Amino acid sequence: MHFALPPRKTSRPPPYLPRTSHLPGLRRTRLKLIALGGLFFLALIYLITRSGGGSSRHGLPAARVPKGNPPVVIVTVLDSTKFSGTYLQTVKQNRLQYAEKHGYQTFLAKITDYDLEGSPFSWTMVVAMRDALTKFPDCHYVWFLDASSLIMNPKLKIEEHVMPSARLEELMRKDLPVVPPDSIIKTFSHLRGQDVDLVISQDKEGLSTSSFVVRNGEWARFFLETWFGPLYRSYNFQKAEVHALEHMVQWHPTILSRMAVIDQRTINSYAKGTTAEEYKDGDLVVGFPECVTVGPQECETRSKPFAQAWKRVFESV
Amino acid sequence: MSLSRSPSPIPGGGWASPGLNIASGRSSPAFAGSSSTPAMWESSRLKRGGASGYPSFSTKNQSFFGRHMRRISSHLPRFSSSTHYAEKKKLGRGGWSVHNVPLLGRVKGILGRMGRKMKIRLLMLLMLILAIIIFYNTPLVYHWRRSIWFGGGKKFVIILGANVGGGVMDWKGAREWAIERDSERNKKKYAARWGYELEIVDMSTKKRYAHEWRESWEKVDFMRTALKKYPDAEWFWWLDLNTFIMEPSYSLQDHIFNNLEKNVYRDINEYNPLNITHPFAQTYLDAESQSPIGDGNPGSINLLLSQDCAGFNLGSFFMRRSIWTDRLLDVWWDPVAYEQKHMDWAHKEQDALEQLYVSQPWVRKHTAFLPQRSINSFPEGACADDGIDQRFHYNEKDRDFLVNMAGCEWGRDCWGEMYNFRQLSYYLNRNPWERFKEDLVAVLWFKITGQKVTL
Repeated sequence: MHFALPPRKTSRPPPYLPRTSHLPGLRRTRLKLIALGGLFFLALIYLITRSGGGSSRHGLPAARVPKGNPPVVIVTVLDSTKFSGTYLQTVKQNRLQYAEKHGYQTFLAKITDYDLEGSPFSWTMVVAMRDALTKFPDCHYVWFLDASSLIMNPKLKIEEHVMPSARLEELMRKDLPVVPPDSIIKTFSHLRGQDVDLVISQDKEGLSTSSFVVRNGEWARFFLETWFGPLYRSYNFQKAEVHALEHMVQWHPTILSRMAVIDQRTINSYAKGTTAEEYKDGDLVVGFPECVTVGPQECETRSKPFAQAWKRVFESV
Repeated sequence: MSLSRSPSPIPGGGWASPGLNIASGRSSPAFAGSSSTPAMWESSRLKRGGASGYPSFSTKNQSFFGRHMRRISSHLPRFSSSTHYAEKKKLGRGGWSVHNVPLLGRVKGILGRMGRKMKIRLLMLLMLILAIIIFYNTPLVYHWRRSIWFGGGKKFVIILGANVGGGVMDWKGAREWAIERDSERNKKKYAARWGYELEIVDMSTKKRYAHEWRESWEKVDFMRTALKKYPDAEWFWWLDLNTFIMEPSYSLQDHIFNNLEKNVYRDINEYNPLNITHPFAQTYLDAESQSPIGDGNPGSINLLLSQDCAGFNLGSFFMRRSIWTDRLLDVWWDPVAYEQKHMDWAHKEQDALEQLYVSQPWVRKHTAFLPQRSINSFPEGACADDGIDQRFHYNEKDRDFLVNMAGCEWGRDCWGEMYNFRQLSYYLNRNPWERFKEDLVAVLWFKITGQKVTL
């Protein structure tokens, strides 16, 4: 509709210019452009954040990183049917003093602590390791040391002497038959130190479970729980958990690929044996692996000279 | 003569097609002259023609063009060279009507009267519609759904175990081939629709497995192969051959994975046919292993399966790429376990998994269950002891996703079940036009004339 004349202006003009409804810098067209740009931007963000049909919306939860408190837990199973009371006291003192020196924790289990559902008591070591992981979720390493071994060198620390990646790569024996002398399953030849979760040694009969280190983590739980599987325990392995371990390592690459076999004397010297096995001064550990087969007193007599030696060394440091 | 259908032999010999007859001079049976019957079949005409001994021959109306030339040519566009523009204008002046203006002109007129803005808007609308049509009618939609960024279809691999037995146990008959063909086509179509990967694996009995007592652990090995073969994929869906995807319009993302935590249950006590003690009560385990739902985060689910009336069912299950999965696939088969249990384990790999679930906390933490009917509905014949059970059996009204004809090879008719479910799936997923024809037109026709028609 058109009027003949434009409407009259007011005779008293306002002193200031009336304010327009729009902000001065924003024209209508520009506003549209901004809205379009914003829409495009939001769509882009939507596409990026949903990333792939939502299936990966639930990413794998980040693995818990242990803080290293304590850095190492020493696990020992004390079996009063195999060892004499005084010897076990010596072992206990040995572990406690070493742990105190380095700020470690000890986990000393008795064979009656766990319900093994009728399996031999030697299986206690596996479940005790698992228990140690539960009790000390923030530890870096769990070191199992059999009761028939004594720590001889208080200066060596597990996390420096054995476990650094570079040190492991130096120590680990590659392409070695897992079960001597001629197992067709051999240790990996291209294993990096950071991928190792189980450090173990081998004596002349096979893998030795009297001293080994496990790195805390999901793999450790998987490994120990599988090892403790009821069908392994019910199977008639000649040496129960030791042969079960050898079986696992040979049949399951997810376990073999995380294992490093190192020179025996690094963590598991024997009091008597071949030159590769025999204890020399300065070694971390001395073991008396056959003593339990002879009788409870045997370990005590065999260990006597070493027991005095470690006490002397521990006092001097 | 026009050939309304392809020539085919008739029982009496010769060809039923009129076009190939010697006596083909007539355009219709009624033209048969002296005969008293107005219409005759070609065969009888042939006999009669032979008896009279006069093969009629005529050049008139013989060919298709001969008869239809006029009709066709009258519809062809022509150049009107005689009419001038001026004359036309004059003619139009008398009584102006819409019908005299050609279509193009009319559209031009509408466009001319339209504002510039309106034109642009219309153009944009047209472009949008065109874009949508192009998107859905070209491989674009496939690539969109497949791509990791948009649809994410590449993250899913369907593994179909085909060729079960592989002709070693049994000679494969027509029905077995038909089952294979239908099942494979069903999965192929589904995978193509949503851009998933499809891996059809050969489950034929191999010496390798028979020798190592590893029969039916092939699943494990194929799963591992697929993990290697599809490095981009995240979820791997195992399907037995006797399965049929009833609702191909459900994508796995919508159906399960976008809302994983709501669709699954991790506490097996919710449905526990095996009476497994859950959760673990051993005090040497950490809180997460003792919790009934693991860590409760759907991201930690690495194995998704369903339970039927007898326990775990591995006819249809999902595994996610993870370190955990590698470990499980590794320890699933163990000679020590097998040696002790092979007499008890009737469903070898299924029982082995149950055993692992029962005894290993690390397995339980990452396993979740789907209600059976969401990925693995049974037909009436399976789990049939207590009649139809809402938890296991396929229900047409709820439009269950997949049917697994589990155990049909033992005394049931696999092919019959497969065929029925295939037909049912087609019926349930008719498009709107088919529904209109069959549910409305055909029904009305039936009511009016009393005759059933298929359109």
